[in-house]
Amino acid sequence: MHYVILGNGIAGIEAALGLRARDADARISVVSAEHEHLFSRPALMYVFAGQTSLRDTEPHDRELYERMRFERRSGRVASVDVAGHALVFDEGSRLAYDKLLLAVGSKGRGAPWPGAAGEGLHYFVTLRELEALDRAAKNGMRAAVVGGGLIGVEVAEVLHDRGLHVTFVIREGWYFPAALDASESALVAEHMRGHGVLVRTGATVERVLRGDDGRIRALRLSGGDELAADLVVSSIGVEPNTAFLAGGEVALAESGAIETDDALRTSASDVWAAGDCANVTWVDGSRRPEQLWYTARDQGRVAARSMLGDDASYRRGTWYNSAKFFDLEWTTAGHVPATVGPDGTPVAPLPGYRSWFQRVPGRFESQRIVVKGNRVVGFNMLGSRWNHEPFLEWIHERRPLEWVLQHLGKAQFDEEFSPRFRVYERHGAVS
Amino acid sequence: MQSGIMNTYQHPISNRAWIAWALSALLFVAYILLYFGPLPSLGLRFDLLQRLAEAMGHALGLPAFLHSKWILYGAVYTLAMIAGGALVLRRHGNSRYQRVRTLTVVSVQVLLAFMLPIVLQVFGRKEYYFSYFWPLKIEYFYPSVILEQPFLIIFWSFLGSLVAFPLLAYFLGKRFYCSWICGCGGLANTIGEPFRHLSSKSSRAWSIEKVSIHTVLFVALVTTAIVWINWAVGKQHPDFARFAFRVQDWYGFAIGAMFAGVLGVGLYPLMGTRVWCRFGCPMAALLGLIQKFGRFRITVKKDMCISCGNCSTYCEMGIDVRQYAMANESFTRASCVGCGMCAHVCPRGVLKLENKPVRWKAGQPIRVYAVDL
Repeated sequence: MHYVILGNGIAGIEAALGLRARDADARISVVSAEHEHLFSRPALMYVFAGQTSLRDTEPHDRELYERMRFERRSGRVASVDVAGHALVFDEGSRLAYDKLLLAVGSKGRGAPWPGAAGEGLHYFVTLRELEALDRAAKNGMRAAVVGGGLIGVEVAEVLHDRGLHVTFVIREGWYFPAALDASESALVAEHMRGHGVLVRTGATVERVLRGDDGRIRALRLSGGDELAADLVVSSIGVEPNTAFLAGGEVALAESGAIETDDALRTSASDVWAAGDCANVTWVDGSRRPEQLWYTARDQGRVAARSMLGDDASYRRGTWYNSAKFFDLEWTTAGHVPATVGPDGTPVAPLPGYRSWFQRVPGRFESQRIVVKGNRVVGFNMLGSRWNHEPFLEWIHERRPLEWVLQHLGKAQFDEEFSPRFRVYERHGAVS
Repeated sequence: MQSGIMNTYQHPISNRAWIAWALSALLFVAYILLYFGPLPSLGLRFDLLQRLAEAMGHALGLPAFLHSKWILYGAVYTLAMIAGGALVLRRHGNSRYQRVRTLTVVSVQVLLAFMLPIVLQVFGRKEYYFSYFWPLKIEYFYPSVILEQPFLIIFWSFLGSLVAFPLLAYFLGKRFYCSWICGCGGLANTIGEPFRHLSSKSSRAWSIEKVSIHTVLFVALVTTAIVWINWAVGKQHPDFARFAFRVQDWYGFAIGAMFAGVLGVGLYPLMGTRVWCRFGCPMAALLGLIQKFGRFRITVKKDMCISCGNCSTYCEMGIDVRQYAMANESFTRASCVGCGMCAHVCPRGVLKLENKPVRWKAGQPIRVYAVDL
């Protein structure tokens, strides 16, 4: 049996490990053009920041591939020959498989603005993009970071730390509206501005302006404003890295994500998909990829079992996530409805939902608890640390707001001696 | 990001560049001169650091009993900890744990390990370092030292080593000493800050550490026993007395001077700050064994780790914290000195130092709930 894993990321390697644990004799090949070893993609930012080395971001020791007898093949795949059971590389060679896992991940969504393509326009998803930005970003330059998401805020922070003059350009009325409401976002923006990063909200990029020498000199924003810039980082989201599958026999969703069933099988026989590139069913019934580290890991494990012939199925639990905006940590769990849609327009509050919110006086810290009827369904915590596990339990147990507020301190996960959670505004904060 | 440690890998001194090797060589030379004074075989016939201390003492008009290289060493050591403490506060002062811990360990050094011994000498008493205890300061259990100190100091020494420390290590972990009180740990956690990521995380280093640190503990216990036996019966057995003095000397040279001093500090820029604490300190070994059965642990939040490696990178004891975080496994490692840096630098808040009974069970993946929201 020859298993081929296309993609050397967390989904691919977890699958390879799962296959090896159960099948000592199988031939397992891992194909990648990026790096010889698994590294933590969310940690690329820390490499860029000089906080860790690339080697530090590799979760396993470097003997793993030899010990597990994973054959590595470096190269770029041009297409999958489903009928012939083979990968076709761009230089023409083929690699035959018995079973194939597509774990090809995401890439940065292409900047759609006229003038964007060319020198000075950067992305930050892959190792090559990190290396390019690392070479380009020099002390004293003016940088524009476009896109108000999690990658953008970290790139802005590191560029600022390197001595660049950074402007953070956000299309929506406030930062990260997919997860933060106006007051939370104001808190984050205040924190970012306090660190010296300019934040421009409600600004759409219309064109990248280049000088006679072809170098970027400015961004033209909606309304005609020009924002002077030597370097632009586009962080307007990621999309499945599946261009090489377009028009082939593996069915793709409109978004480009690979359609999978509950067992992570694709439409093509003997082909599975896992991780950022796979379309899966969410708790709310929608079909989207899950672009998270730990779900990619779980999907890789399920895919391995499915490829081994188990009756495995991937089931997504209640949503939770965490991130960090400069020094502000953020934990979310459950259902926290967005108050602004993807196009930047306000969304009418869902009927029956309300929010309990407090901003802790004197600190960059806030708590928001979403209530539906009288049961708590979501948490959005900024500026302190929380254990999401009790949150998920309380949501599951349908606890009322008063009960949750009384017990909330038990979920606090801050370092010792940190200020304890307390309710500053028991009444009047529910909206 | 943790703004304080950004660019760590861009600083040559933190990255084993030539300047780090040069600093290491300088530290080796300084410690050899400190411990071994004149080195006639190398052509150095006078005690360089002692001469320097005397010259400085005269220049500053200090009383004669301060014209000692050991006072000079104490002053430099304490100043290094104050300067390093300021650096740590600048980098990690946004954490109250790091703030309190750093201020405590620096204060203990200034008051108990530097000023109080001088005050004792002002009053004509023998110096005594109140923040050091047996078996780290092995001679504090030697009969010769016990007999020349007043009862209260002996009481302090025995209470610490035999009663308070085991209890504190059981309830709080060995961190109460290793990263809150101890001067060796204090130096590592202050001026050693730029080198903390250089410790080896390999499993080979872990195997070596387990053997070496427990060997030193064993040797320390045996040495203490031999010295006591000699005190009791040495007069009747001159051969044994000679042997006992040789053992005592050898321990002072090999462990006290070479391992703890020359290697322990000399290797800061190359192997990180806790070489002595990790591979050699008998106190760390003893408290570590108690910690292993005690309440202290690092609790891991389930399924939130992004495997970034910041925790392992910044662990000065070389613990590969990430493996536990990825496996959802709360853990207690005997070597952990509880500096708290893994929890502090984790960008997802996955780790927490705790001494309380377990609240949320770990070791399992998070439960998958299917609740209508």
